[in-house]
Amino acid sequence: MLEPALEDALRAFAGGRRYHAATIERWLALDPADAQALLVLAQQLRLGENQLRDLWDWAEEIAQRDRTAVAQVLSSEPLAAARQAHKVGRNDRLKLTKAALRRLRFPQLSATEDRLAGLARRLELPRNVRISFPDFLEGEEVRVEITATSPAALRAAAERLRAAADSTICDEIFAVLGEAP
Amino acid sequence: MSTPARNHSPTPAPRAPSHWLPDSLWIERSELDSALARRLRSRLADTSVRVVDDCSEAEPRENFAAGKRRLLIKRHRGSFMQYCPAGTPGLVCCNYLVVSFASNCPFDCSYCFLQDYLANNGAVKVSSNVGDGLAEIDAVLRAHPGRTFRIGTGELADSLALDHLTDLSCELVPFFAERANGLLELKTKSNCIDNLLDVDAKDRTVVSWSLNASAVMATEEPGAASLEERICAAQQVQAAGYRVGFHFDPLVAHDGWEEGYRQVIGQVFPRLDTRRIAWVSLGSLRLAPALRAAIKARPQPSLLLTGELVPGRDGKDRAWRGLRVKMYRRMLDWLRQIDHRMPVYMCMEPPGVWGKVFGESPSDRELAERLVALPTLTAL
Repeated sequence: MLEPALEDALRAFAGGRRYHAATIERWLALDPADAQALLVLAQQLRLGENQLRDLWDWAEEIAQRDRTAVAQVLSSEPLAAARQAHKVGRNDRLKLTKAALRRLRFPQLSATEDRLAGLARRLELPRNVRISFPDFLEGEEVRVEITATSPAALRAAAERLRAAADSTICDEIFAVLGEAP
Repeated sequence: MSTPARNHSPTPAPRAPSHWLPDSLWIERSELDSALARRLRSRLADTSVRVVDDCSEAEPRENFAAGKRRLLIKRHRGSFMQYCPAGTPGLVCCNYLVVSFASNCPFDCSYCFLQDYLANNGAVKVSSNVGDGLAEIDAVLRAHPGRTFRIGTGELADSLALDHLTDLSCELVPFFAERANGLLELKTKSNCIDNLLDVDAKDRTVVSWSLNASAVMATEEPGAASLEERICAAQQVQAAGYRVGFHFDPLVAHDGWEEGYRQVIGQVFPRLDTRRIAWVSLGSLRLAPALRAAIKARPQPSLLLTGELVPGRDGKDRAWRGLRVKMYRRMLDWLRQIDHRMPVYMCMEPPGVWGKVFGESPSDRELAERLVALPTLTAL
């Protein structure tokens, strides 16, 4: 049961953003500390219903996995840092928050993504050659994109790419992509 | 390395089987005089009976769990057989056929796709017109004499959980015993095997159990037989001449999964004759959005949703690919250490994952043919 002031604030915020009744009921049924933490998050980032639900679901799953509370998850250091990032607008702050929460939600996946990003950097490809990996690493395709404005630029990029493909780092990339460490 | 020196003799069941009984029996009026209705009325003499013209009266749509307490006897209308719903473009498929003599299951596994698939279809249903289903199977087998079909009854229901009430296996096993190109799989989480023990199945029936890590079995499979009960049942049916199968599906990436799955493999396989294991399947937990919602709505929190599940190309959430590959490789290693000849396959995985795990990716047809091949291991 929430304090009337919290319930009023929550209803006012959710009502103002036309949240569905089911979402509001789910919110009202939370532990007061969790409900309050979500309200602060939602107000701070001016979250729409779907945006809140995504973050909420992840926070809830992390809380269950780590046997803690949603409020604890939302106040953890990486989240707090993202939410208080200086000199960024609301959209970027939301992106940072979501990224921080994603790292907590998918720690092994995030570590693997970091490792792949590091390996890709070590290939020392020029700026006009971009390497990207599948979303959530659901696949083993590495996408390589070359942008060139002249035959010479294309040839130069292709040469650097060829050297990168011959390196052991390239083999390591595919090995990491194939199986979790 | 096979395990001929190990003790495969059945051990006594640890306790009396806890076979499921319904709270109420519902019968479609037109089937009141069917053999199945007569049998069930006799076996459930103390259970309240309701005769209905409209079967939907038996289905408590507001509560899927409540439906699992009701048993409905009805005539099956339409086709009994279909391709396994797991078959999906882009994923390697074993061309399994499912035949549904029942739908819904008395067990209440948190990950069960029936929560979504049968969401508005509450009661546990058994079909009174089994003969029609057998005729349909017979027609398919006769129409394709050169092809062997692997056919299971455990897709929309547990194959054996109701067998102490229905005696369905007493019709199915002899039926398949007489047919050279049909291989029946009875897939279960129960230990209802009494009907199987005195029948000569002529190697045309495989009895299989779903298995999981202890932590998953303990929290996510309410009502199902314990691991020890499943092992004892598998030993008994092996001793009675059947080959057995095992399904590690869903594999759940939870805290301690490596130790959990390694342990269960170590507990199960050394107690069986691994030369008489027809197949072992591996499948990662996969959640369609509606199933995820159903799991979330369950009264007890589930550890299923805490894993690193990400959306796949077929719209279902799974453990991310690298983690799945790691799990499959570990499982395969542990199984191979016990007997490298046990046939192992995966369910609902793309060729790329097959390549990573097995070093090859068979076509659907190749996989199907391998799984229905005669038990070559016994000849070795």
